[in-house]
Amino acid sequence: MIYLSKSLTKLIGELKKLPGVGEKTALRLALHLLKSPANGTALAESLREVQNSVRFCSTCYAITEDDPCYICSGSRDATAICVVEEPQDLMAIERSGAFKGRYHVLHGALSPLNGVMPGNLRINQLLERLRGGMVKEVLLATNFSVEGEATALYLTKLIKPLGIKLTRLAYGIPLGSDLEYVDTATVQKAVEGRNIL
Amino acid sequence: MKLKKIYICSFRNIEKAEIYPDDKFNLIVGNNAQGKTNFLESIYLLGTMKSFRLARNPELIKYGNPFAIVRGLVDNEEVLQEISLSIENAGKKVRINGKPVTQIADFFGCLSMVVFSPEDLAMVRGLPDLRRKYLDRAIFSSDISYLSLHQEFHRILKNRNNLLKREDRNGLDTWTERLAETGARLVVKRVSYIQKITKLLTDFYAIISGHHEQAEVIYRSEVMKKDGTAGSAEEVRLSMLELLHKNASDENRRGLTLTGPHRDDINFSINGKSLKFHGSQGEQRSFILALKMAEIEYIKKLNGNPPILLLDDMTSELDMDRNNNFMEFLKIKDMQVFITTTSLDNITLSGIQNYKVFPVRGGTILQ
Repeated sequence: MIYLSKSLTKLIGELKKLPGVGEKTALRLALHLLKSPANGTALAESLREVQNSVRFCSTCYAITEDDPCYICSGSRDATAICVVEEPQDLMAIERSGAFKGRYHVLHGALSPLNGVMPGNLRINQLLERLRGGMVKEVLLATNFSVEGEATALYLTKLIKPLGIKLTRLAYGIPLGSDLEYVDTATVQKAVEGRNIL
Repeated sequence: MKLKKIYICSFRNIEKAEIYPDDKFNLIVGNNAQGKTNFLESIYLLGTMKSFRLARNPELIKYGNPFAIVRGLVDNEEVLQEISLSIENAGKKVRINGKPVTQIADFFGCLSMVVFSPEDLAMVRGLPDLRRKYLDRAIFSSDISYLSLHQEFHRILKNRNNLLKREDRNGLDTWTERLAETGARLVVKRVSYIQKITKLLTDFYAIISGHHEQAEVIYRSEVMKKDGTAGSAEEVRLSMLELLHKNASDENRRGLTLTGPHRDDINFSINGKSLKFHGSQGEQRSFILALKMAEIEYIKKLNGNPPILLLDDMTSELDMDRNNNFMEFLKIKDMQVFITTTSLDNITLSGIQNYKVFPVRGGTILQ
């Protein structure tokens, strides 16, 4: 890229580190911010604010401004905990409104290939919560990838001995979809996991 | 399945060709290094997007050209479909009836085929990896769900191997269990496929060799029972787990997973004797040919529509009797066949009405 100015080059370099942003997009964003200083200032301020005020809940490790988070401090059912990989998974389940209990965010899934070991996840913190004796059910809502399944199995081995009821998200045909368009592996799982009516 | 028309442009040494094959026999005749196998390879690419010679994209494009094109008109139960493949250095693109293909599953099955080339013989004497790859590909062409299971298993295997190389092995049990669970399902699928084609294999081997001998494919795995069967997926899983525990100290030392379908092998045998050690060149050739025919018959049973057969230089090393037996057999099958040969004398054409000959000279295919 043609050298424009030191500070602009630096801004482009920082923008480029963001997921989904390449050289050209970074340049466009930087020039846009330069042209409308008000937007740029607002962005800079909100970034600083986010960094100062947002943290992880010390109980469930969800994203929050107040510690404990509104879910942990509220009147939600404390006897059920839903374990998810990432904060966005928590949001997905919250949006559905189907789960009335509390959460625990692991911040990743087991993957020796990518250097993620049990020690890198918030697993000990989860066990600590369970030992408190309040929890009656743990819902494992890790992803259905190789890594997510391994994490679910790892947690099963740790939690089973505690005598707590363990459940796993069901998998199968997406709602409102036609059977003929669903891939074979999913159909197979759906048939295997069929329900008695 | 029948290929009605093939159009080739700047592919390997073929500048341009437009060919209308016969529904039955197509003989591609020419001296060495004229482009016979290139022609065959272009057909194979149309059905699989891969080269049976494992070539990379730039090698497929005629020197000095930016891209190559192979187009085929396929008659599948009287439905005509046009498959168009363009090859550039950066990658391949497929269109079916002018529409770009986004999902690989839409592409497979449009033109199914089985190839027999001299490279296949390496499978008999070569490393187990070649035989495993053959088996995996053969199962995949009749069972699409096998692919995702295969990928899942290898992902687990990689994670487990990585863990075995570390100081901190926390979570190893989890990966061991996942490995045994998916590994067992993989083994059961492999064994059941072999069971299904063994009867067919013996029949075809008898037809080609002219006398009845027991041709067998035997799955070799530590998890098999003494009587040679695998049992249920649950039984395989348990015996795999047991072996993994038994080999734990070896695995720790070597940092590798030592039990599982990735270490299994298949043996070929005739009347109980190993083809690898006791089979002659001709026997090996007949065996692999019979194996491919069994694969075709099995696909036909499933889809009700036989795939296309590509035979690269199949006549060499088979004696006259075996050659005749095989041709007699092909005659009565409703199947489109492409055969390359250096001379028409090698092929028994008596009694064959439906055939076309395509002489190939210096990259030009004549009709």
